[in-house]
Amino acid sequence: MLFNSLTFVVFFVVVVSAYWALRSWPARKNLLLVASYIFYGAWNPPFALLLFATTALDFFLGAQIASASEPRARRAWMVASVTSNLSMLGFFKYGNFLLENTQWLLARCGIAYAPPHLDVFLPIGISFYTFHSLSYTLDVYRGVCQPTKSLRDFVLAVSFFPQLVAGPIVRAADFLPQLVSAPALKRGQFHWGLLLMTLGMFEKIVLADTMLSGAADAVFGYGGPLPALDAWAGVLAFSGQIFFDFAGYSTCAIGAALCLGFHLKDNFRFPYAAIGFSDFWRRWHISLSTFLRDFLYIPLGGNRSGPARAAINLMIVMFIGGLWHGAAWTFVVWGLIHGVLLVIERLARAIGGDAAWTETLPVQLLLGLATYAGVCLTWVFFRATDFATASRLVHAMVGLLPHGDPLLTTRALVKVGGVSAGLLLAHWSLRDTSVEAVVARMPRGLVTSLWALMLGAIILTQGNGNAFIYFQF
Amino acid sequence: MPSSTSSFDFVRPIPEQSWRGILLTVVLVTAVAAVGWEIRARALGYAPTLNDTTDLWAQRREAVRPDSLVIVGDSRPHFDLDLDVLEQGLGRRPIQLARDGSCAYPVLADLANDESFHGTIICSLVPGMMIAPGGPLMANSEEILKRYHHWTLAQRSGHELGMLLEERIAFLKEGELDLDGLLAKIPLPPRAGTGHPPSPPYFGSLDRERRERMIDQCAQPGWLQDRIKHGWPALMTPPPAPSYVPKDVFLANMGKAVEQRFHDIAAAVAKLRARGGKLVFVRFPMGGDLKKLEDLGTPRAGIWTRILKDSGAPGIYFEDYPELSSFTPPEWSHLSAPDSVVFTQRLVPHLKQALAK
Repeated sequence: MLFNSLTFVVFFVVVVSAYWALRSWPARKNLLLVASYIFYGAWNPPFALLLFATTALDFFLGAQIASASEPRARRAWMVASVTSNLSMLGFFKYGNFLLENTQWLLARCGIAYAPPHLDVFLPIGISFYTFHSLSYTLDVYRGVCQPTKSLRDFVLAVSFFPQLVAGPIVRAADFLPQLVSAPALKRGQFHWGLLLMTLGMFEKIVLADTMLSGAADAVFGYGGPLPALDAWAGVLAFSGQIFFDFAGYSTCAIGAALCLGFHLKDNFRFPYAAIGFSDFWRRWHISLSTFLRDFLYIPLGGNRSGPARAAINLMIVMFIGGLWHGAAWTFVVWGLIHGVLLVIERLARAIGGDAAWTETLPVQLLLGLATYAGVCLTWVFFRATDFATASRLVHAMVGLLPHGDPLLTTRALVKVGGVSAGLLLAHWSLRDTSVEAVVARMPRGLVTSLWALMLGAIILTQGNGNAFIYFQF
Repeated sequence: MPSSTSSFDFVRPIPEQSWRGILLTVVLVTAVAAVGWEIRARALGYAPTLNDTTDLWAQRREAVRPDSLVIVGDSRPHFDLDLDVLEQGLGRRPIQLARDGSCAYPVLADLANDESFHGTIICSLVPGMMIAPGGPLMANSEEILKRYHHWTLAQRSGHELGMLLEERIAFLKEGELDLDGLLAKIPLPPRAGTGHPPSPPYFGSLDRERRERMIDQCAQPGWLQDRIKHGWPALMTPPPAPSYVPKDVFLANMGKAVEQRFHDIAAAVAKLRARGGKLVFVRFPMGGDLKKLEDLGTPRAGIWTRILKDSGAPGIYFEDYPELSSFTPPEWSHLSAPDSVVFTQRLVPHLKQALAK
């Protein structure tokens, strides 16, 4: 079920009404559990069984980790959980990718091997719910959280519908405590949740789908050379589209959870106002970057074994981070470029230190714009379906193509330019604050007008919704 | 140490505002604006009608039974065939699967590949559209097939809810009165070498069986009819060869693709017939400059004749029969709603005869 669909509107109204009408907290949790499985099963009912099986296995393994007295046994149970989760993810998401690459590798060695094509349908949101579930056993192993005794609570923590299919990656350790007792709504919480849902849908339906996706699709789908203007416009369009799409989903999830009395952490913090790539990753898909930091980078040794080892660790993390997004080498290259940029940035900081002149506003602005341009360039590899397209676009962007075919209309260019400028302006003016702080300072009339405008634009945009980009991950 | 049995310390801040009043005002303002926009839409000539969405098509495709009578093709059978008349004449209620601005081949192939289907297909054959190797015509067909083959429960329920609204609210007109459609109406200087010919504006209403009827405003002479008429030449002209492919290579590739399409159509028809299915190709009426353009670009002796010869399927060419060629499509391409009923009545005997072969 998509947030931006009429089905979800009806579903949400029914669930929220029933939820607050029930008095018993266990009954409310049962309702949320059933609703979450309906939400997920509405795509493909059999995959709900897979979701349950993964969750139940991690519940069992979490209990085994906690009850094992020997460190070796604890480790073995943890490894079993990691292996089972990653195997399932590997089979559904990376099976064909592995087979194709094995075939290629064997062919290089002169061995002809024709693997069968696995006709596997990717369960929606598998990368997200696998990490939700895996975070539990890893946190139990690390001693960060105690195992829950309630299978129902754990299944609900993994499948809670606002964050189930496209994040944020909510760790069980952050969610399970909220299931201990019935939440109480703070004053304005429900309304603020609704406003966040409106904002999220506005970002997705109006800005991502209506204003930007057309230009991005046209440019990335074009088979010929493009002028620099069109190439940049297409890449800027995708940069905006993926932000509004994914941040829109996260904002909806946070809003929906608030309406039900739950608190989810931010997943984005105005990332296009980042100064440097480490700052970018503190602001973009925060739940994934902190997951990889805590469960991969730090266990690998983090910064503790010197700069060279830290650089290798960083590259491993970004390699995995790239691959997490999709079974294609373009995603891996995207991750690795970010890894290289992060390493270079660390080196630059180590050599130059935090010199005072870098803290001046013009320099900060320049560094911020350079970061944005760099991030946009890396999006080329993320969005392009193959390296030929990516290479053609990068060449066009840096002016290395002698000529190109104009592709985007004046209207498309105006849309991309206007929305991208607005996006950058908004991120820069909000980079050191929060939406909550800004809204708290706004006059009532302005809040009302903005909310009504967003709602009006959503109604005017109509349609039954396009899938969110991150669903495929 | 946080644990599942301890309390969670993260609480999102809630901005201080008088939220109840704000929400009430937002709901009121939005409702008033929506009513105002609905009044304006009706004043502009729009009436509530279904959008021809991929969901609506998928729903009709699901209604196909093994022995169904199915209409496949582009906008001409969509406007020109009356389902009630066909049911009376042929004894079975047809299922309308034709889609505006689409190539018929992918749907034809999909039915031919459906091992359970052994019914009858009335297939519109607009030569230039039938052989389109790619581009928007093929994309329109592939999009509906993809929806049908991967139609989820959530999409089905969303479609049912959407229809309830579209049947009552005029401004829910995709591509016309939605934000994208409205933005497209803002005049901006063109950029040389870019853009596609605009799609025709709203000129047909649609019901749940996907029966499309031309609205009166288009059937009568006036600005709407003129605008649609003069849009066809650009829409029906094939796009130029891409600059990055040498012209001879492009033409050779096109030639191969067209040959392959002839072969594929014949194979699809053979597969259908091998299971006892039947198919008849129909060339629907057209007029004015559009007819001149189509006759010049895709003369009957070319693609039409070749497809009929290769496939061995019967064909009905409207110009062969005075009773079928006497209609004047108001906007050169489709019949008015009353004419479509008469046309279908006159077409039925020819269909019976062709399908009896």
